[in-house]
Amino acid sequence: MPPITPDWAAYVAQMEQVLALELDDARRQELLTQFSRIAAMAAPLMAFPLDDRLEVAGVYQA
Amino acid sequence: MNPALLSISDLRKALAAGELSAGEVTEYSLALIERQNPAINAWTQITGQRMREEAGRLDRQRREGSPLPPLAAVPFAVKNLFDVAGFPTLAGARLFQNRPAAQVDAWAVRQLSASGALLSGMLNMDAYAYGFTTENSHFGATRNPHDLSRIAGGSSGGSAAAVAAGLVNFSLGSDTNGSIRVPASLCGIFGLKPTFGRLSRSGSHPFVGSLDHIGPLARSTADLAQVYDALQGHDPADGFQASQPTQAVSALLEQDLGGLRVGVLGGYFQQWCDDNARAAVAQAAQALNASQEVTLADAELARTSAFIISASEGGNAYLPALRSSPQSFEPLSRERLLAGAMIPAAWYVQAQRMRRHFQQQVLPLFAGVDVLIAPATPTSATPIGQQSMRINGVDLPIRASMGMLAQPISFLGLPVVSVPLRTAGGLPIGVQLIAAPFREDACLRAAAALERLGIAQAPAVNLE
Repeated sequence: MPPITPDWAAYVAQMEQVLALELDDARRQELLTQFSRIAAMAAPLMAFPLDDRLEVAGVYQA
Repeated sequence: MNPALLSISDLRKALAAGELSAGEVTEYSLALIERQNPAINAWTQITGQRMREEAGRLDRQRREGSPLPPLAAVPFAVKNLFDVAGFPTLAGARLFQNRPAAQVDAWAVRQLSASGALLSGMLNMDAYAYGFTTENSHFGATRNPHDLSRIAGGSSGGSAAAVAAGLVNFSLGSDTNGSIRVPASLCGIFGLKPTFGRLSRSGSHPFVGSLDHIGPLARSTADLAQVYDALQGHDPADGFQASQPTQAVSALLEQDLGGLRVGVLGGYFQQWCDDNARAAVAQAAQALNASQEVTLADAELARTSAFIISASEGGNAYLPALRSSPQSFEPLSRERLLAGAMIPAAWYVQAQRMRRHFQQQVLPLFAGVDVLIAPATPTSATPIGQQSMRINGVDLPIRASMGMLAQPISFLGLPVVSVPLRTAGGLPIGVQLIAAPFREDACLRAAAALERLGIAQAPAVNLE
């Protein structure tokens, strides 16, 4: 299966509605830049195979 | 004589011998700050009246022959996200300028005041603690005392610059992803990020509850340890505080390093930095007889996870205000925060699970090593206004990436001391000394050894 390239502009537009935001074009463009940067970082994290019994760190105790 | 240039121990001795009064210390400090702060823009509020009242109480105690508390008459200042009674807590944000004044001091400030330290005011920071440069559009950039055209680092930039310039003996900062270690590195001072949960955070404005730490910055390991000892203690109001007994460390610093096993972090930590950072690590490693290279598998994913948790929790915290008053936000962070508020839950949960995975991989390594060495920052202080730095052949945004070598370590909650070395060009750069949870003593002993050898030094910068 070829890798899927999400349409982050569409996602951000949907979230803009869900969160009832009022953005102008400049802010929308900067938001997309910022979100795309996070999404690029998240991709390898989401591809990492974690053990299915691994729990969240929760209230973390070092 | 500038009392802020004395060690805490020497200041106490001078006070006990009657060579100085707390009142004299206060007047000298306030005049010095008034004169020199405009060059570095570290203070956002000076608390002269409070400092004079605290000094007056100490001098009365001294005249009555009462024993002096451990930090008697030591001038300090705090990052402006700590509550200080009578003042609004800014967290670097214009958004909070008109909020009601704090009713009581933060727990850490209370500990320090009860120990006799004198609060001179509150210090500049990146808005919301979201950034590594302290280029604050509303309160102005804090300037690095070593080169006023360069950043102080952040987000505790005011805390580092104030200490580096010799205007206070120590300061308090906070560290979510590197915000003590990064400015300590760029301003050439010592900074301690204790184990996650070791010190109470109550009364400080949160940024990322899952990752926030507080800690001290100072110009010597002895001062750092004494302040850390004063900050320890159980606070029932902090739900994240670990149930560990306090462990005073000041008396342990003089121990030699016999038996302390030291390693160098390789891989990611050697890849994402410049030659100056690598040289600093090599110098510290040689001095501490580091005998092994240690690789933290998945360090880059750990950094990514810390980034996603920070963006998500920080974005969520500010979402109501992002909707109601976006015009009041720091323009350099506003859309970054908003992007964080839109992160899918699956990414956040994966990042929190990754934290447990990374902990399970890394903690067993401490069976074979006591202290790990890594650069604190990829490079030295960059010019104010510069947006990106080229590291490992890649252009990285400075505001988001100067802490990339600190993030995987705070993600684990490990204790770290950042120690100041000098690059060939003269600018400071920090090296992280990292230990197992609740082994602050090991980090501090290694830092003290580097200080005794003259390798890690933090002389105050004279701005006059």
